[in-house]
Amino acid sequence: AQQQLGREHQGITLRGSAELVAEFFSYGINSILYQRGIYPPETFTRVQKYGLTLLVTTDPELTNYLNNVTEQMKEWLYKCIVQRLVVVISSIESGEVLERWQFDIECDKTAKDDEGPREKSQKAIQDEIRSVIRQITATVTFLPLLESACAFDLLIYTDKDLAVPEKWEESGPQFIANSEEVRLRSFTTTIHKVNTTVAYK
Amino acid sequence: MEDLENNTTVFSTLRSLNNFISQRMEGVSGLATPGSSQSSLQMQYQQRMQLEEQAGQIHSKSQLLQVEREKMQMELSHKRARIELEKAANTNARNYEREADRNQELLTRIKQYQERETEAENKLKEQMEMNKSYKKSMETMSKKMQEKESKLAEANETITVLKGKISELQWNIMNQEMQMTSQDSQKQELMEQLDIEKKKWQEASQQIQTLQASQSLLAEYEQKIKDLEQKLSQQEHDALIVKNMKAELARFPKMERELRQLREENAYFREMKENNGLLKEEVEGLQRKLERYEKVQAQLVTVELENEVRSWEHLVDEQEFPLLTPDDLSRQIVALQQRELALKEQNSTFMNSARMLEKARQQLQEEILCVQSQLLEEKKKREHQEALVRRLQKRVVLLTKERDGMRAILESYDSELTPAEHSPQLSRRMREAEDLVQKLHAHNTELEVTKQPPAPAPGLQELRPLRLSCQVTRSALAGARFAMLALKIEELEAERSKLAEENRSLQMKLESLTLQGDYDPSRTKVVHLSMNPMSLAKQQRQEEQQQLQEECERLRELVRVLKGGGSVSGNLEGVGGFQSPQEVAELKKQVESAELKNQRLKEVFQTKIQEFRKVCYTLTGYQIDITTENQYRLSSIYAEHQGDCLLFKASSSSGGKMQLLETEFSRAIPELIELHLLRQDSIPAFLSALTLDLFSRQTIA
Repeated sequence: AQQQLGREHQGITLRGSAELVAEFFSYGINSILYQRGIYPPETFTRVQKYGLTLLVTTDPELTNYLNNVTEQMKEWLYKCIVQRLVVVISSIESGEVLERWQFDIECDKTAKDDEGPREKSQKAIQDEIRSVIRQITATVTFLPLLESACAFDLLIYTDKDLAVPEKWEESGPQFIANSEEVRLRSFTTTIHKVNTTVAYK
Repeated sequence: MEDLENNTTVFSTLRSLNNFISQRMEGVSGLATPGSSQSSLQMQYQQRMQLEEQAGQIHSKSQLLQVEREKMQMELSHKRARIELEKAANTNARNYEREADRNQELLTRIKQYQERETEAENKLKEQMEMNKSYKKSMETMSKKMQEKESKLAEANETITVLKGKISELQWNIMNQEMQMTSQDSQKQELMEQLDIEKKKWQEASQQIQTLQASQSLLAEYEQKIKDLEQKLSQQEHDALIVKNMKAELARFPKMERELRQLREENAYFREMKENNGLLKEEVEGLQRKLERYEKVQAQLVTVELENEVRSWEHLVDEQEFPLLTPDDLSRQIVALQQRELALKEQNSTFMNSARMLEKARQQLQEEILCVQSQLLEEKKKREHQEALVRRLQKRVVLLTKERDGMRAILESYDSELTPAEHSPQLSRRMREAEDLVQKLHAHNTELEVTKQPPAPAPGLQELRPLRLSCQVTRSALAGARFAMLALKIEELEAERSKLAEENRSLQMKLESLTLQGDYDPSRTKVVHLSMNPMSLAKQQRQEEQQQLQEECERLRELVRVLKGGGSVSGNLEGVGGFQSPQEVAELKKQVESAELKNQRLKEVFQTKIQEFRKVCYTLTGYQIDITTENQYRLSSIYAEHQGDCLLFKASSSSGGKMQLLETEFSRAIPELIELHLLRQDSIPAFLSALTLDLFSRQTIA
């Protein structure tokens, strides 16, 4: 809380922005998993965040995985070498990709060189994030039903010269053939701008 | 104490004596040591004697003392004894009392205990009796237990049998369940087909329903039509009937009237009967009147005729015809009619001519319309061509202006360029211009021949190019360059627009691809965690698949075993999943034992039955065979022919009453039948008589 207050007074630093964006990804991915029914709803518990009641998973394996990815994302966001985070939802049976949630990240690289923090209130960023998450929840109405059992994967688009860490590996982009794309809202912390798109079959 | 005191005094005196003696001895010894031994001996003997006397005196004194003391002591002891005795008496009395009390208590206790003893003995007896009874009951119970055990054993046997049956049934159930599953699968397929066909059927039924509805509607309509037709016919009938009825009804009042009239006439006639005479007179009078009236009538008729003739004469006079007779009138009428006919014919001919004239008029009107339309069209064409003429004139004006401008440009170019280079081109242009002029002349003449209004415009156009030809030749190269530049500009603009469109389309594609997730491989790469939920899920799926495949193979083997059949034990092993192997082994053993028992029982029964039959045959002399359900065939041991036999039928199901059926042999022995069966009603007597009879025959034979 003190840190947050500090941020409110001081503005947004690069590290603070990376943390905010990584946090958003964590809650956003949890919301997507709950809304699309990838995991059974009884494995989710309610928490308060961004002024909303969000559902996060209680499965320890899954939480561990998400935390690993989120920590790595924080680091890469701080270094501004990550371009995109994609949540790929595909059928377990056929391996066919059914949905792609794409979060494009535009990083202002001058923020590293800046001395002072940027002027944007925490509340405004929270409002923007809240509207994005509300929109993610609302997209369930027009997305097609996922009838077969599905699993998800998180892909991160990074700069080519990145050193791939130990437990990570390169993969393909996992496109959807003949997809419909819908652009959702975006939010910005003045250092990182996140655009959300959902592509479905 | 007293004794001790006595003893102590004795001892003390003895000690003092001994001491004295020792002193004396010492003294004696001190005195008489070197002396002679004999004197010492005498001295010693005397001393000893003295001593002994002293000792005896002392002893007697001591004895006296002792006695006195003893006496004292005795008295003391007496007193003490008395006291003690009294005390003892008291105590004894008390003890006695106490013991008396105790005795009483003990007596009471004894009594109680005796009572209790008796009670206990009674109880003992009772319990002994109870024991006996219990023992009896125990015996009975044990007997019952034995019975029950026997029953249990039987029940166990039945249980084993039933278990065998159960296992068989279970095996059957398994088979049937297998069949069920196969049939379920078939059923599902059939159900699906059923569903499909149900849907088809539903559609068909819906169509049928619609058709039926329409048919019903049709039928209803037809019925309505029929009803209406029937109603119509009925109504027609009714109309006819109504008409008839109306006629009849019309007749009805008439009839009523007639009735009334008849009644009236009747009355009248009755009156007339009464008044016959008068009436006859009146009749006569009336006859006369009648005659008169007839005459009058004839006169009237003639008068009327005369009136008619007069009227005709009037008419004739009025119409101014020269003729007066009706024949002439008729002839006139005929002539008039003929005139009428002629006039009608004229009329018809006039009508025809009128129609013809109308037709001609209409045709002329149509022609007029066509001509007018043609006139309008030609007017329009004229106007159109006048407009063309105006436009061409305007164009000509514009062209002249352009030419003026071009002329100015060309003059400016001319000022730049030398004339020497242009001369061959100029001559070429001249020739081309002359050719143009000739062509235009020819065109003009053609147009003049066709008499088209736009003729003057091309003529104007021809005139203008003639004027401009020289100026054109001067500005030829500049124009060519200009044209080339213009062409280049146009091409470049077209290229630019195409490129702009291509750019836009490529940008759109890029955007869509970026939305889809495309990336530039030279600048970005895609990474993900190796241990991600997708791969985990796939692994789990694969493992599940493998497990399912293994299970499938296992089940297939089981199915093969079951299909192969084999012994019951093998099937039970295959079934295996229902029962534990121990139970299976037990059941197998039970089954085998039950089968063995069955077989043994069968053998035993068979041997017994055969034995019994043989014994019956030998003892009774008849072999009894069961031919059909209730029929028994007896063959005698002494039968003369092998086929001789008697047939008995059991009339009741229990076989109590038997009836003899007819056979060849029975026909041969009617006397016996009559005697024993019919009269005496005893089958054993009959059979024994028959045996005796046959035996007698055999022995004789």
